[in-house]
Amino acid sequence: MVGARNTFSYRLVRVIYLLILTLGALAMLIPFAWSLSTSLKPLGESMAYPPVWWPHPFDWSNFTVIWTMVPLARWFLNSAIVAVSVTIGNLIIDSLAGYALARIPFRGRNVLHLGIVSMLMIPFQSVMLPVYILLRWLGLLDNYGGMIVPVLVSAMGVFLMRQAFLTVPQELEDAAMIDGAGRLRMFWQIALPMVIPNLMTLALMIFMGSWNNFLLPLLVANRSHLWTVPLGIVMFQQEYFVNWPYLMAGSVLATLPIAILFLVFQRFFVRGVTTTGLK
Amino acid sequence: MASIEGAGSSSLPAFPKGNAFRRRARRELGVGYMFTLPSVLLLFLFTLGPALYSLYLSFFSWSLLNHMHFVGWQNFVQLFQMPLFWISVRNSVVFALVVVPTQTVVALLLAAILNQNLPARGFFRLAFFFPAVSSSAVISIIFMWIYNKFGLLNGFLSVFGIVGPDWLGNPSFALSSIMLLNIWTTSGYFMVVFLAGLQAIPAEMYEAAAIDGAGRWRSFSRITVPLLSPSTFFIVVMGIVGTLQMFDQSFIMSQGTGGPLNSTTTIVLLIYQFIFSYGQVGYGAAATVLLFLLILLATLATNWWFKRKLDYL
Repeated sequence: MVGARNTFSYRLVRVIYLLILTLGALAMLIPFAWSLSTSLKPLGESMAYPPVWWPHPFDWSNFTVIWTMVPLARWFLNSAIVAVSVTIGNLIIDSLAGYALARIPFRGRNVLHLGIVSMLMIPFQSVMLPVYILLRWLGLLDNYGGMIVPVLVSAMGVFLMRQAFLTVPQELEDAAMIDGAGRLRMFWQIALPMVIPNLMTLALMIFMGSWNNFLLPLLVANRSHLWTVPLGIVMFQQEYFVNWPYLMAGSVLATLPIAILFLVFQRFFVRGVTTTGLK
Repeated sequence: MASIEGAGSSSLPAFPKGNAFRRRARRELGVGYMFTLPSVLLLFLFTLGPALYSLYLSFFSWSLLNHMHFVGWQNFVQLFQMPLFWISVRNSVVFALVVVPTQTVVALLLAAILNQNLPARGFFRLAFFFPAVSSSAVISIIFMWIYNKFGLLNGFLSVFGIVGPDWLGNPSFALSSIMLLNIWTTSGYFMVVFLAGLQAIPAEMYEAAAIDGAGRWRSFSRITVPLLSPSTFFIVVMGIVGTLQMFDQSFIMSQGTGGPLNSTTTIVLLIYQFIFSYGQVGYGAAATVLLFLLILLATLATNWWFKRKLDYL
């Protein structure tokens, strides 16, 4: 690499790299483009084989039809209620625990930290059966509570917030302590404002996880007016199996909110992966 | 929420003088517990507790509707004699064995390329990462359409004169189709993890290697790969945990049946069926315990393998 900036092989390698990346990016984006393309076609054209990419004419009716055919608005509302509640809960609960584990010296702290992090090895799918029985026993089936309470805390979130609070300078807290501030005030007025970017990352990760969650609503919500968007779309698919334009219109609508959040807050998403991905 | 207010009210003005310091330390103990209490409680209730509860349930026969009664090891014995259980184990293990190495290698190569000084890096990172933030349910449905007998994939293959199968309807291809979907979804996510690791490797190392006459491949295999092993370890462990519990894609693409011919029945899908189709909570709990053991063993093996490799460096 040293002093080889303009050689033929250097340029050739760069072209090959860019080619690989371009092909990869195409592979990543084509499925989404295809669902958008299908969603704009009438049923007949969508079945054309070999497939046609460009719909002519653009048929927007699939969107208006599914909007009235299934309670899509209600599903969006459900998803929003659940995802917002889960996000707010995690912001409070995860950051309180993260703060204590990072800043408050108390007996058993290290054990607690280890215990919480080790919960990462027990993801939700594997405890689906006992959690279902527990929710049934608590009367949390077929209501919002069942979709919210089990995911109000995330071990990953506690870990993320602990890492964030470790970076807050001790001197600030010492000064507050001399002023007689209690721990809650130090947490709220000094530490929390310093980790706002981390809170953003946490909020986005949790919101996305909850918005995309399929298994928990599947277990909890039996009645269709409680379904979230992903669950509703899957149930819809099982009924209207053959009408792919409807299904793709639903898929496009379901992807849109996350796509917008992702495009606007990209760096926070990436940051979330890199902080939790590197121990 | 009571804990938050409790913590606030215990904050009297105090600073080291005599045993005021000790008083503060004692109060800190309480505050520390109160701050962590909601997390600990919820994690116990919905993660650790259920894991222990499934161990308990695995020794009982119960249909959710009748009285449960103790059956000792019977659920495990029955499970071991059940062909469907072994099919699900095989499907999950094969799935993990193919998906984890592939997605790790793809993610590493993409990250290594993206880490070069190339144009449009931001766009590429965005494109690769996007599938990872999309809903698994929606992606599964989009891929059902692409994998259709007369879908996009077969349309593409027909350009080369290949007549593609009905990907999800054919037992020989259904699981592989889900593997491909999974690799497609997670590679970009793990690529971002690798990118962070790559940026921590000092550029001087590569310069020194270049002076010593090392080519691209040598510096990749002798510097990049070994120095990335903490990231790789994390990615492999997360990959194992994720693939061994695959559920959404199998459930959606097979309409909950694990078909065709049980070719997509994973352990977690079988657990779901034990509760909701067969009413056999005991079998489901026993399968849950065995799944934990499998994940634990796989993680320990990975740990051992990475440790051993690091010792040789």
